[in-house]
Amino acid sequence: MFKKIGFILASVTNSYSILFFSNHKVFSLLLLLISFFNPVAGFSGFIAAFTAVIMAKFMGFNTSQTKSGIFSFNALILGIGFGSFFETSPVFYLLLIVGALFTLVLSVTFNGLLGKYGLPFLSLPFIITFWMILLASKEFSNLGLSQRNIYWINEMYAAGGKPLLSIFNSIESIPFPKWLAAYFRALSAIFFQDNILAGLLLSIGLVLYSRIAFSLSLIGFFGAYLFNDFTGAFQAGINPYHLGSNYMMVAIAIGGFFAIPSVYSYIWAFFSIPITNIMVISLSKIFGVFLLPVFSLPFCLMILLYLYFLKMRTITGKLVLTPIQHFSPEINLYQYKNNNERLKDEYYFKFYLPFMGTWTVTQGYEGSITHKDDWSKALDFMILDNELKSYSGAGTSLENFYCYNKPVLAPADGYVQEIADFIEDNEIGEINREQNWGNTIVLYHLPGLYAKLSHLKKNSFTVSQGDYVKKGQVIAYCGNSGRSPEPHLHFQIQSTPYIGSKTFAYPLSYYFQQEGKANKLQTFSTPNEGSFVSNVNPNKLLQLAFAFQPGYRIKFKEGNNIETWEVYTNALNQTYISCLENNAVAYFVNNETVFYFTNFYGAKESMLYEFYLSAFKVVLSFMPHLTIKDVLPLSVVRAPFFKWFQDFVAPFVQLIKPGYMLNYMSIDDEHFTSEINLETTLEIALFGKKSVVRTSKISLIHDKISQFIINQRGKERVFTCID
Amino acid sequence: MSKLKYEGPVIKKMNAGLMNKFGTRTEYQPVKHIEGVAVKDMIAKYGSPLFVLSERQMRNNYQAALRAFKTRYPKVQFAWSYKTHYNNAVCNVYHQEGSWAEVVSGFEYHKALKNGVPGNKIIFNGPDKSIDELNEAIKNDSLIHIDHFDELYALIELSDNLSKKPRVAIRVNMDTGIYPMWDRFGFNYENGTAWNAITKIVASGKLNLVGLHCHIGTYMLAPWAYAIAASKLCDLAWHSKNQLNNPIQYLDLGGGFPSANTLKGAYLPGSDTVPHIEEFAEAISSTIISYGFKPDELPLLILESGRALIDDAGYLLGSVLANKRLSDGRRATIMDFGVNILFTSFWYDHKISPAQDFTHHSEDQVLYGPLCMNIDVVRESVNLPVLNKGDQVVVHKVGAYNMTQWMQFIAMRPNVIMIDMKGENHVIRQKETLQYMEMLEETPQHLKDFKL
Repeated sequence: MFKKIGFILASVTNSYSILFFSNHKVFSLLLLLISFFNPVAGFSGFIAAFTAVIMAKFMGFNTSQTKSGIFSFNALILGIGFGSFFETSPVFYLLLIVGALFTLVLSVTFNGLLGKYGLPFLSLPFIITFWMILLASKEFSNLGLSQRNIYWINEMYAAGGKPLLSIFNSIESIPFPKWLAAYFRALSAIFFQDNILAGLLLSIGLVLYSRIAFSLSLIGFFGAYLFNDFTGAFQAGINPYHLGSNYMMVAIAIGGFFAIPSVYSYIWAFFSIPITNIMVISLSKIFGVFLLPVFSLPFCLMILLYLYFLKMRTITGKLVLTPIQHFSPEINLYQYKNNNERLKDEYYFKFYLPFMGTWTVTQGYEGSITHKDDWSKALDFMILDNELKSYSGAGTSLENFYCYNKPVLAPADGYVQEIADFIEDNEIGEINREQNWGNTIVLYHLPGLYAKLSHLKKNSFTVSQGDYVKKGQVIAYCGNSGRSPEPHLHFQIQSTPYIGSKTFAYPLSYYFQQEGKANKLQTFSTPNEGSFVSNVNPNKLLQLAFAFQPGYRIKFKEGNNIETWEVYTNALNQTYISCLENNAVAYFVNNETVFYFTNFYGAKESMLYEFYLSAFKVVLSFMPHLTIKDVLPLSVVRAPFFKWFQDFVAPFVQLIKPGYMLNYMSIDDEHFTSEINLETTLEIALFGKKSVVRTSKISLIHDKISQFIINQRGKERVFTCID
Repeated sequence: MSKLKYEGPVIKKMNAGLMNKFGTRTEYQPVKHIEGVAVKDMIAKYGSPLFVLSERQMRNNYQAALRAFKTRYPKVQFAWSYKTHYNNAVCNVYHQEGSWAEVVSGFEYHKALKNGVPGNKIIFNGPDKSIDELNEAIKNDSLIHIDHFDELYALIELSDNLSKKPRVAIRVNMDTGIYPMWDRFGFNYENGTAWNAITKIVASGKLNLVGLHCHIGTYMLAPWAYAIAASKLCDLAWHSKNQLNNPIQYLDLGGGFPSANTLKGAYLPGSDTVPHIEEFAEAISSTIISYGFKPDELPLLILESGRALIDDAGYLLGSVLANKRLSDGRRATIMDFGVNILFTSFWYDHKISPAQDFTHHSEDQVLYGPLCMNIDVVRESVNLPVLNKGDQVVVHKVGAYNMTQWMQFIAMRPNVIMIDMKGENHVIRQKETLQYMEMLEETPQHLKDFKL
């Protein structure tokens, strides 16, 4: 029962903040309060939202959508509008309820219709319902248009008494600059009000919720004034209501909510103002004929057009539409940036190098010899020695060449789609243009994703058509068949299953590239011509210590505190570690090559949080002299002032950069490992100045994380595995 | 008529070319420089004879061998065979490249430790390990390769009260179809002794059987023999895992890969007949990979190659002491180096090049060493330009075994230098002095003086 009431209350309050694309709790309550400045409007708004929520719940619509408030916010605006424009009476309440239910019907319907195209329905249900009631109301003799909007101070007096009125009056009498007062009034007009106090509170709420949204509201506001001055259209389409509900909301939606905030989204937000202006004026004229106010119709049309227009692009470019909605421009931006930098893993199928040891890319993408036109995205590999020679001895026979007859591996799991195995190896220096590709194998990995390996040795295939091959399995041997004057291996990714299909660019997942004497780890990139590359050899101890299979339990102890962590998988097949004592949750990915955390929720005091920071990303291969770097989310920084400042400028520049570094300190034995020590560092760059915030030492002994020690500001904390 | 005396057959090069007004020509080229350093300068500075090692060639050989295996097999480890050359500078070149140490005596074991090789990266081979040495190896977590049952029993006894089991492997000998079969080391495969040893180790519960080792011979010219050896080791490993639940972590195929030297009695030169290391790598790797192990359970492949990695990185520089005619008219040249420091001349027909320009006339001749001892023959018969007193020569491919098997007999051992990657010379072993020779000698009081 309490759960149900909680659900309904949460849904109703969420309807308030979602008006501003937010699910911020404090902001919702503030908006709820502001709506009651006009008590009747506030009350009828609440009733309408409540009705819509109850009905949505009762009718069995998607609970998480209902809870987010998206089915009920239109009812809320309807209610507020209703209470602001009409006199209360029994018929009023009847119509309010009917109207609220009708917005629900429209919301669900539009959600279905527009959702297909990935478009939001915005406040269309409200506008349509309100119009219909407005048009019909002339026939309801008991329901007349009230003049409430003018006398609402009386009502405030009735509700809040003298103290409230005096607060209100004292704020109204503060000599705000004209533009500031206008800004506040415009904000309050979103709730069909016209007072500075509401606008002031609303702007505070807006800053609390999102610095980006706030700055965009200013752009919308001033942009509208600027444009108006420029065109000389006297006050046309520039009343407080339009400033708030159309210009500002358009700016927030375009600049910060539906697109990832950036310079480009801000430019779009700014240049949307003239179009909005034209829409406001023209639509007002059209609907003026029917004596209908346009409300936020310009806003709705603008956003729908803008989104649909941008969705039609074939290349995303610099202006990115928000891929996953977190209901906060800041979170959208930071998550997007962080994911872009970190989580390529989720976007790409993982290909590995199709050979053992170190080979050299002798012809890369767009190579000058044969990688041209439709077949330009291919890689040729050979083995070169220290003197960059591909053979020993005279180099006149196939056997002289290092790569000849070397095992060729499956670059990923898949099925053998096609094999050609009937072409003799060429003599050195000769080529076979008849059977251009030589002996070739095509592997099927995913629909539309095939890998092809060519110029293989005749009769060297160890698999046959239709076989399932595992990544790293030997499938054939390198040869010199086809258009190949000397032995080499050709590797390409293609979208069709034929020998001779054209290529497309696709990165390799993880590999080493030799730079000087050291190996550099490359992730999701394509090696350039001339680079020496090899596969990353995972270390078994590292793999086992970070395996974290679902159901795995581990206990850590610090002093007298003990935490038990258990590993789970959710319905989306995401794995996470949950702390049984304090319910903190850390999401992670383990793809056998890399272990990394993606998100943390819950108590930042928990040991799990310390572990999350300490082992943010671990490449499961022991690589001395190599530093693994990663970018931490901004949430790890605990400096609210700086963070707010950062938020304001976030779309343009990142001033605070939390970085993570991992160093492999020691290993007892590379082959038979029983002990490894890692050291990780958390570093925060503030205006480009870096400072180490904390270091962690992680010891792995016998397949397990035996201990991790963190050192923060000279204070050392030791966490020991006890089970 | 009396019976004719037997004469051994002789193969002689037939010269049936066209008549030539310039006389018989040779294709010899003088070798005046090694790694860009003049032979003349080196002899002037460090004396004659002189051993010269090329760091570049050592590293190149190592990297080529490693590449041959690593491009065929995912887990490969080389262990430097100390007995091939245990000069610290040489060992450290290989350790820098990533090699472990393979030792066959307490002396070599301590040398490796002193060089800084961690105990757990030393493989302790050989039939002679004292109880003290075994104890030390156990303490250091070294890999002990058991050679015989007496050693096995001794180890079980030593491990009685240990908390951590010593890591051991057994050396296995087997018939790989080549002659001679080295059955004096380790436990035989065919007659079941090896399996017997494995079961004894596992049953004892006191030792951790982690590896299997074989070393089928030396200067092996048959890659396929390694394929047989690898497959027999795989057999044992497979059964050890499946029957005894004791997975084998590594297979040590030993060494024995040849260098390009020419064995005595071979008709064709070694550079033409010796298989490339790639062929050995192919035989071994493909056998293990296709044996049937799961990809993540493939054993580590250890190789203890010595000769193939260093032989052609070593040169011996020497000078002519004298010329003479033997009774049968053959020419004889006496060099300032002999079998005392060039031990491998017992096995190989070493290639020898003059170090200065010469006329095109050449002659079959005997090369003798400086020792006053009949056995001191460097080459019984070699066709060389006519060399005069003081002329210098370069002996090729002497890097393996010479500087460990050399004798202090009649003469003392010369300087050994290494030419580094930048062409700089470093003395890595000074020539011996009388004082050094007598350092360990002790003369009893009553023998201290005498009167003649």
